[in-house]
Amino acid sequence: MDFELTDEQQLIRDAVREFAEAEVTPIATEIDRDHRFPYELLPKLAEMNLMGMPYPEKEGGAGADYVSYVIAVEEVSRACASTGIILSAHTSLATWPIFKFGTEAQKDQYLHDMTSGRRLGAFALTEPAAGTDAAAGTATATLHADGYALNGSKMFITNAPYADVYIVFAKTDPERGARGMSAFILEKDTPGFSVGEAEHKLGIRASSTPPVYFSDCRVPKEALLGGEGDGFKIAMQTLDGGRIGVSAQALGIAQAALDASVAYAKERIQFGKPIATLQAIQWMIADMATEIDAARLLVYRAASCVDNGRPYSTEGAMAKLFASETATRVAGKAIQIHGGYGYTESYPVERNYRDAKITELYEGTSEVQRMVIARSTLR
Amino acid sequence: MRIVVTYKWTCDPEEATVGADGTVDWSRAKAGISTYDPVAIELARRLADAAGAELIGLTAGGKGAGTPIATKAALSRGLDQVVIIEDESLQEAGRSELAAVLAAAVRRIGDVDLVITGDSSVDVAAKMVPTVLAGELGWPAVAEVTAVTGQAGALRVERAIPGGVQVLEISGPAVLAASADAAVPHVPGMKELLAAGKKPVEQLELTALDVPARSAVMTVTGRARPERKARKGQLIDTTDPAAAAAELVTALRASGAL
Amino acid sequence: MSVNAWIIVGDQPTVGSLITVARSLGGPVGAVVAGPRSVAETVAASDVDKVVWCSAPDDVPAEACAPAVADAIAADPPRVVLSGRNPSERVLLGAAAARLGAAVLTGARSVSIDGGDVTVVNAVFGDIADETVAVSGAVALLLDGGPVPPADGGGAPIEEVSATPLPLKVIETRMHDFDEVDLNSAHRVIGVGRGLKAKEDLAMIEELAQALEAEIACSRPVAEGLNWMGKDRYIGSSGAHIAPQLYLTVGVSGQLQHMVGVTGAETIVAINSDPNAAVFQQTDYGLVGDLYQLVPAITAALK
Repeated sequence: MDFELTDEQQLIRDAVREFAEAEVTPIATEIDRDHRFPYELLPKLAEMNLMGMPYPEKEGGAGADYVSYVIAVEEVSRACASTGIILSAHTSLATWPIFKFGTEAQKDQYLHDMTSGRRLGAFALTEPAAGTDAAAGTATATLHADGYALNGSKMFITNAPYADVYIVFAKTDPERGARGMSAFILEKDTPGFSVGEAEHKLGIRASSTPPVYFSDCRVPKEALLGGEGDGFKIAMQTLDGGRIGVSAQALGIAQAALDASVAYAKERIQFGKPIATLQAIQWMIADMATEIDAARLLVYRAASCVDNGRPYSTEGAMAKLFASETATRVAGKAIQIHGGYGYTESYPVERNYRDAKITELYEGTSEVQRMVIARSTLR
Repeated sequence: MRIVVTYKWTCDPEEATVGADGTVDWSRAKAGISTYDPVAIELARRLADAAGAELIGLTAGGKGAGTPIATKAALSRGLDQVVIIEDESLQEAGRSELAAVLAAAVRRIGDVDLVITGDSSVDVAAKMVPTVLAGELGWPAVAEVTAVTGQAGALRVERAIPGGVQVLEISGPAVLAASADAAVPHVPGMKELLAAGKKPVEQLELTALDVPARSAVMTVTGRARPERKARKGQLIDTTDPAAAAAELVTALRASGAL
Repeated sequence: MSVNAWIIVGDQPTVGSLITVARSLGGPVGAVVAGPRSVAETVAASDVDKVVWCSAPDDVPAEACAPAVADAIAADPPRVVLSGRNPSERVLLGAAAARLGAAVLTGARSVSIDGGDVTVVNAVFGDIADETVAVSGAVALLLDGGPVPPADGGGAPIEEVSATPLPLKVIETRMHDFDEVDLNSAHRVIGVGRGLKAKEDLAMIEELAQALEAEIACSRPVAEGLNWMGKDRYIGSSGAHIAPQLYLTVGVSGQLQHMVGVTGAETIVAINSDPNAAVFQQTDYGLVGDLYQLVPAITAALK
């Protein structure tokens, strides 16, 4: 078992880190403070071929392996967790369903644009009354002569309204529960589709997550992704991969918090010495470093399963569960190490702390991850 | 048109430690492409694109010069292919020895219209390899180059001079040393990084190259830590900035620095 | 007369230190000049024994005379050939070194000829260590040129050669509309590093510079990466090497590539928030703290 990164993976890590430090770090504080979507980063991410990294070259992607992709998400998230999720939601949640379930015509129409980053994607599953219980969604898709009419609302839609392409889940057969759900590809300027007010969140404030509304929103028959009734399966499989992206985002947040804590501990003098000389601080740092390393190994292992064509549902759940809870713990300790200064906006750790929590919630709460892991372990 | 750009895989002395006896320990330093070489590659790539030229990377050094990660790192920055001379005997090579090897390689590659180098290497920082290389080839050399355009045999070169910029015309092959700020190297994208491993790599045997024997032989006979001007190393308490400032100004006035 | 040491001179006669070193080696000293005749005359009037002047048309830069310079030196091969660090001088020295098969050293602290060998104590790797090197055969040294050498009463003969220059010529010269700073002539210099968060903060540094009567300079990353200051203001291995009375650093970490440019400073003061910053190993007075408080405080204290 080789725990070393390949040459390409090392070079990718270094390049994405350099890119993130040059282009993302300088605006990270401002976009968080102003709740501003970093629209100007999209072409730069695209130019770096980060928007469709794990997709084959013939589909316009970079043909990178999944481990390289999670390395890239971690490095971007280390600079800015909001940018990390903008990237990951686009690549893992919005692009993947088209890649995996799209017809040739659908791929021709959308895939290259999305893997190249020319068009931004979003994933619209969650509803006000259907989060963890996704099957309870009430958005409907009624078949008419000219296509489907979508009605309903979705919540917390990452990348709306900036996204051009939305994967929308709605019930073609409301009587059949999960099996009545279908998936559709929706383009942004479709009449009947509207976006609500921006959601003000505790963290990842530069990630835009408004509600979206469908009011007799007509999509052609060709917009159906997969078959009628395949929607729930498509959603769950997509989230299996998406959660590996989120676990990488959590890693990035945790690493940023640790790096800041190490630098601060060496600088901060109390009782005539840097606090890094105090055992209490050293033990906190040791725990943080070990947990992050353990999380990283889980994330890489899940990504390797994707690369090797092995099942990755449980492995992804473990990675997401552990990495997200690690991020919250590490960010909390980071503020502790910084003391009062860590509680102010002058230091970056308060943002890490606010950003970390979402990783325990979206793309499957920690409770969902535990359900997945328990089911697999108790089989 | 054929352009050669030289690069070096080496460590930053910032990460080296020096023993009391003057020996330099590189074991904790991480190797990478020498800091200013990507600037040269960027400049060369822009000219190659504009002129429809092929861009060949060239490196010569001791063990490690041709490791896959070094080669991929260089290729990913915009080279079409690389030529590598990796030989243990070059580990301790002096500037002129290295330049002579590079010159032999340029002659071996053949039909080279232009050689572009970085300003200097991050570890040795001699700024002499490009000029000795030009001397070996019998070609004009220009340093502090900030821009280059044109075609083989008709190059237009801008270089920094004190207080301004000079534009030169060179009608023939030349060696240009790019100034350290001639270009901001782009960060290689994912496609460039993944394509690097598939580009052509040619290893040349040093013994098969026609390198004229050096008439001067250099031997290291001793090492030492440099004698530094002794510094006071006095730390001023900064709890009260105004008091610290006053203490500093007083001390500087007393010592004659002010 | 067989020249023991050749000095290469470009457009400027700033070779006083080279002459001193050449003289210390014993034996006749020659100078090859690839620049205006006036430079050849200044050098000829100083303490050299022989001058070869490579004349060329006005629009031909010194670099184009490289083969002529190499020819002149090879015709009377020395043990040592020296030049200053200007870009054109480096080119000419490179040509001479190639022709002679000479070893090239660029960090010589001392040079002597003992028996058959030229012995050089050479600073290496950004001046972190010294190596003593023995060279059998010719040595080419890149050194700080030094001031314009004084006339010493004698006058060496000037031999003019006009060889065909290499095919390069100057077609345009554009001078900046601002004055570049000459850090070498500043008695006091403030060095700005990455600790300064925003370009706007330079205003605070300007005020300190005025109070201190100092020039402002920077370590490489600020100059190149962020374009806060022009190239004429950076100090380090690839920038200026200065030896002012006072060098005051603000937010400079003390990286080798920068500090190598100021080892000759009389007094070094550092302000940095990181007590472990390398810069504090090389200071006379160190202030570990917040530069945003300390810089205005020092400005006030100076008034």
